[in-house]
Amino acid sequence: MSLEFLLIVAFGGAFLTYFFGKISSKLRDTFAVIISLALVVIISSWYKVYVEKTFYCGFMGFDSVLRLNSFSWFFAIAISSLTALSIIFSLSYMKGRERTDFYYLMMLLINAGMLGIVLAGDLVSFFIFWEIMSWSTFLLISYNRGPSLAAGKKYIIMSLIGSMCMLVGVMSLYAKFDTFNITEISNLVSSTSNGYILFLLIIFSITFGIKNAVMPLHTWLPDTYAESTTSFNCILSGMLTRMGMYGFLLLMYVIVGATRVLNLGECLLKFNYIFAWIGAITIIIPTFIALLQKDAKKLLAWSAIGQGGYMIVGITIGTSLGLAGGIFHTLNHAIYIVLLFMSLGAIQYRTGGERDLNKLGGFIKKMPIVFVGALVGIAGLIGIPLANGFVSKWMIYKTLILEGYPFLAFAALIGTWGCILYSYKFIHHIFLGQLPEKFKNIKKAPFSMALPIIILSLAILVFGILPGIVLKVVNRIGTSFGFESLHVNIWGIASETGTLNTINIFAAILIVGIIIWLIFKAAHKELKVDQYDNYAAGSAIPPNKYNYTVDYYNPFTKMISPYLKDIFEIFYLKIANKVQKLCNSTRKIYTGYVGSYIMYIVLFLAILILVQLKWGVF
Amino acid sequence: MQISEIILSSLLALIIGIFFLGLARKIMARIHWRYGPPITQPVIDIIRMFSQKGISHGSIFNFGLIFSLTGSFVVILFLPFGKMCPLSSGGLLVILYLMLLAPLGIALSSGEAANPNSSIGVSRKFLLALGYEVPLLLILLAVMTHYHTISLIEIVRIQANTGWSFGSLPLVLSGIAYFLILPAILGIRPFEISGAAQEISSGPKVEFGGKFLAFSTIQHALHEFIGISLFVNLFLGGWDLFGILEPISNTVWGIILGIIIFLIKMVIIFVIEIFINAVFPRFRIEQAMKYLWKWPTLLSFIGLLIVVLFN
Repeated sequence: MSLEFLLIVAFGGAFLTYFFGKISSKLRDTFAVIISLALVVIISSWYKVYVEKTFYCGFMGFDSVLRLNSFSWFFAIAISSLTALSIIFSLSYMKGRERTDFYYLMMLLINAGMLGIVLAGDLVSFFIFWEIMSWSTFLLISYNRGPSLAAGKKYIIMSLIGSMCMLVGVMSLYAKFDTFNITEISNLVSSTSNGYILFLLIIFSITFGIKNAVMPLHTWLPDTYAESTTSFNCILSGMLTRMGMYGFLLLMYVIVGATRVLNLGECLLKFNYIFAWIGAITIIIPTFIALLQKDAKKLLAWSAIGQGGYMIVGITIGTSLGLAGGIFHTLNHAIYIVLLFMSLGAIQYRTGGERDLNKLGGFIKKMPIVFVGALVGIAGLIGIPLANGFVSKWMIYKTLILEGYPFLAFAALIGTWGCILYSYKFIHHIFLGQLPEKFKNIKKAPFSMALPIIILSLAILVFGILPGIVLKVVNRIGTSFGFESLHVNIWGIASETGTLNTINIFAAILIVGIIIWLIFKAAHKELKVDQYDNYAAGSAIPPNKYNYTVDYYNPFTKMISPYLKDIFEIFYLKIANKVQKLCNSTRKIYTGYVGSYIMYIVLFLAILILVQLKWGVF
Repeated sequence: MQISEIILSSLLALIIGIFFLGLARKIMARIHWRYGPPITQPVIDIIRMFSQKGISHGSIFNFGLIFSLTGSFVVILFLPFGKMCPLSSGGLLVILYLMLLAPLGIALSSGEAANPNSSIGVSRKFLLALGYEVPLLLILLAVMTHYHTISLIEIVRIQANTGWSFGSLPLVLSGIAYFLILPAILGIRPFEISGAAQEISSGPKVEFGGKFLAFSTIQHALHEFIGISLFVNLFLGGWDLFGILEPISNTVWGIILGIIIFLIKMVIIFVIEIFINAVFPRFRIEQAMKYLWKWPTLLSFIGLLIVVLFN
């Protein structure tokens, strides 16, 4: 099957879903699931297929090129499978809501746009698909109306700034090399000066930095994640935000090339070193801001920004281990953040959209599968051994330590410890502790929600115990970028300076755990008690109040919160206000009175006449 | 060979950890001018607890505790114990991450108990961990950067050849910083914040009884062992004692003597920590964090800077 066929299926399927929705909602749901699964099947059948195809009837006479290699395959399979799971998750989440046809159309359109981005082999198609993705995202963010309209506005303004920067970059590349083809540009670009390379890197970094929410450009993300529908959050947080990572990789290691990027600048002022520090800042500050949140979705949003920093640090150091760690972390993060959003979505579905952490609690007894999903999700997020996040973080840390960047390594490691605090808060406030009386009769999560949660939990464990499955593909991406190959086997990584062997850890934990479990079983059987049967130093236990969740990390959060103001947000809002004021005053010339318009015309003519009399230009 | 090492080192760690608990009570009693319980008292207690009935609040209440004890045992398998080190994969970074399993398991377990005492205890425990992790990570990075390896076995081996890191010039500040945060890592006074018995009824342990309490006591004992063992391995040269084991290093006697030297070092450090524990009152959590983020962090930061410049 050819590449254009995939895009036709993706785009056509999206619109067909919309029209089927007009006939019957059952038909639409089934069709949406079939289309998204079909895309997964087609893409997975292209494992190890490398093609590049040129169409001469492209946009405005420019050839459009589609290409598939291990780099785009890796992202394509991640996009399509996560979208398929999100669509399955949406089936019950979106049931009974209004404008669901529109919702599915946009979901599939975003999916198609992202697939287009990773398959695009020239910058014009890349730009067009990028815009399709951005605009449909905007429409879907604003789906809930109310506060989400403001969030959507913020997103689209920042996204547009990014797109304009990309347009400038693409135009300058065309002016210089007279082609849009990425492969041709990458061959030609080595002849240009360092200044031009720096210009390219900076102008495209703004685009991709906005999409990937790198620290000074992150302000759209918390609002957007908090206000959009939770089932859409899965796509948004999983792959859509990480299209920025695809962009960075494409820019740094495909268009410009590793040798140029890694040798740009001197000593401490090297481009990649500075960029890695931006990544480190992106890890630390959002991690601590996430600690302060009491809205579950905002907590996950800030966490997602912080995790983006690890990917940046990983890919910018420029060793094959770090690069592989960064790319692997992109996938790992996508899996566990989608899982966490799905767990939260299941809770919201049953509780009527509750997302205030202080009002939830004790859901482990009501939704055990969702709890296990969330537990495995935070295991991945923290990077507990045997979860996938551990392997990628280990690779990044090891690179940083052995390449002699201990301070960067410190930033990355301390981010993990902050991460433990907020992820425990997430799981404790929702699933542990006391179940409020009003949620006493809540039901289990429906099957269509439980299924994706189970699949993603298994994926986290499988990729954590057998990281070689993914690392083989990641390693091929690294070698295609011109890095030396890693010694990857199915259990981990072997190298001269320390190996990682997950089977060791897995066997140790499994065997020790079973022995301790057996001892536990052999001892006296425990007495099961309910949540009100508690120690309270002899006093009676007040129902619904004997719980500690509000201001969980209190003395500490009070200490750090003055330092954690989002200064960039404040700064951007100030600029936005100034621009609005300027525009408002400009609008005053439109008085709506015909006399003033005639006056403008007369004045304009008078100026023209004056110019002609004085200088005689016409 | 490896199997016997695994069994031997986990059993030894268990015995020594529990011995430490008894020793601590005895020394504390003598400092208070009491006679004190016999040194085997913790063993008697654990046997008694196993024979009693405990309550359970649900599945994660059981699972979390099993998980945390598993985590502690697995860390011991990855730590060099004298010359034994049953498992080695991923080096110090893996140890650092495996050390998370135990507190996380306890936190999950006591989280389901829905008791505010335990929630407050867990919250304090995590904050304290964040407090001491900042200097601890700087220290570990200094050591790893200095020896240019992430493997703990390698670090111990290099120390045997070139002298202890505590005595070497670039790492002495880091060593002092580790010593300053050691009470926080062990959770003893002045940092006995999360398990404060008088304030929050022993914090996370409040709902544990019977075998649960026995498990959490064993976990606590292993935790003491791990904290001190890491210090001895990183800074006091592990099994090395000024090279006296050099002639018999590969014989059985060499291995046994190595373990004994390692244990003597651990006991010395532990007794010093008990002295500190006996005379200090308890910090509040914000005082503890301010302290941890001030002097130990400053020292370890300068230590890391020196290492970076020194290399």
